[in-house]
Amino acid sequence: MARWTMLTLLAATLATLASAQDAVPSVQVTGAVKQPLTLTAESLAKMPRATVKTTSRGIETAYEGVWLTDILRQAGVPQGEQLRGRALAGYVLAQAQDGYQVVFSLAELDPSFVDGGVLLADTANGKPLFGEQGRFRLIAPHDKPGARSLRLLTRLEVVSLRN
Amino acid sequence: MRAGLHSSRLAAGLFAATLLLGADFDWDLPPGFPRPVVPPDNPMSAAKVELGRYLFYDKRMSVNGKSSCGTCHRQDLAFTDGKPRAVGTTGETHPRRSMSLINVAYAPYLTWANGTLTSLEEQALVPMLGTTPVELGLLGHENEFLARVAADPLYRRLFPQAFPGEHDPYTLRNVTRAIAAFERSIVSMRSPYDRYRWYGDTRALSEEAKRGEIVFSSGELGRCFRCHGGWNFAPVRFAQAAPRERAESTGGDFFNTGATVYPPPNRGLFEHTGRDADIGKFRVPSLRNIAVIKPYMHDGSIPTLEAVVDHYVAGGKYPHPNQSAIIRPLTLSARDKQDLIAFLQSLTDQEALTDPRWSDPWWGRL
Repeated sequence: MARWTMLTLLAATLATLASAQDAVPSVQVTGAVKQPLTLTAESLAKMPRATVKTTSRGIETAYEGVWLTDILRQAGVPQGEQLRGRALAGYVLAQAQDGYQVVFSLAELDPSFVDGGVLLADTANGKPLFGEQGRFRLIAPHDKPGARSLRLLTRLEVVSLRN
Repeated sequence: MRAGLHSSRLAAGLFAATLLLGADFDWDLPPGFPRPVVPPDNPMSAAKVELGRYLFYDKRMSVNGKSSCGTCHRQDLAFTDGKPRAVGTTGETHPRRSMSLINVAYAPYLTWANGTLTSLEEQALVPMLGTTPVELGLLGHENEFLARVAADPLYRRLFPQAFPGEHDPYTLRNVTRAIAAFERSIVSMRSPYDRYRWYGDTRALSEEAKRGEIVFSSGELGRCFRCHGGWNFAPVRFAQAAPRERAESTGGDFFNTGATVYPPPNRGLFEHTGRDADIGKFRVPSLRNIAVIKPYMHDGSIPTLEAVVDHYVAGGKYPHPNQSAIIRPLTLSARDKQDLIAFLQSLTDQEALTDPRWSDPWWGRL
């Protein structure tokens, strides 16, 4: 009996590990949202696409993806006219696979407040992101340093400081 | 038909002659990579690079005929010498180790800690004529050397090809221009990592090295990219740089890493500026081919890559007021360290270590 229990546990563990390895890479959109999202390359491909060109040490890269404002709109986060009063005390906490975190206020992601925006990128020069960039990353083209162009993106948590 | 064949042969001959003699030098850079900066008064040409190669490896350039540039910059060791500190032709030990010349064309600054030395042409004079320490020991013997060069049948062919139209091309200035052109030609982007990152070869790297790339680039784990970021794993200057990028390359290119206590004459940038704030600040070298460039650091004081990683994990060995804030203790598991080292080993371009374009043409002749 104990032997069967052990074997069952082992099989379940192996299945979980295999499932984790086969899992489709995704970005979770959670927190103070009306509609939590699980974004994959497939779902991002169906959203409005945008391209941002960057130059790093002489090498130009064209990142393609979806503006965060479009993702937040789909998640039911206040945008445009609705981004007023208490809603302005909200921000997005972006988290990476390695534990790195950066923050953007909702207002700085909203084109009705600030020109430009932040891109959730899934391709570079037409090819899926990989390796140290992760499957998804952020591109903050208007930041001077690249510190908020977070790589290995796994989660966007919307936080409201005044509910 | 015959006329067509004749003209195509003629065209092929002219093309070959152009390659041999002309000014159309090509680095054969991968698509999208920037070109190195070339000074207007020393344009690249195949003939000049070839002359520079002969001079680079010519031991007659030293006072006692025992050493050439290639003695301290061996191709098989990524143009370093494997010694903790370089040794000059008369046996004098240099305070610091020799630096790799691979991709030196992209280095914003030359040597370990001189914020004013940016010209390969000027730098070539340091080992030739320098006396503290003596490297090639040519000071006072320049004319003898140039007379030997002017009398050599090979150089009597190569110099006029490299400097066409000059009445007397056998000058020290032209020697340094040719050596600089040769050094500028040593450009490499063919390591396994390059194949993985830039050419889509997902099998070029082991799984360990792929994980190591993440450790290297993570702001939470290795943080190595903070100094060694970018495609050359070091700050770069290049021909197409925008003013902002040029300005950025002059900022934080020298760091105190807490590797030693920085005794004289190895006080880094301080030796040139005299500013206390510059004590211990040394240039960030490229990590390309780092696995064959041992021992490590400016003074060769760290023998292995593993020990280098341990040094950075500890946040430096010798606390110093000028130590960079980037250098602080890291939390890396044993596997993280192994992965990081596997990644660093993937930066070796084996082809560059044997590429005949940069090899010793005097082999067996001098």
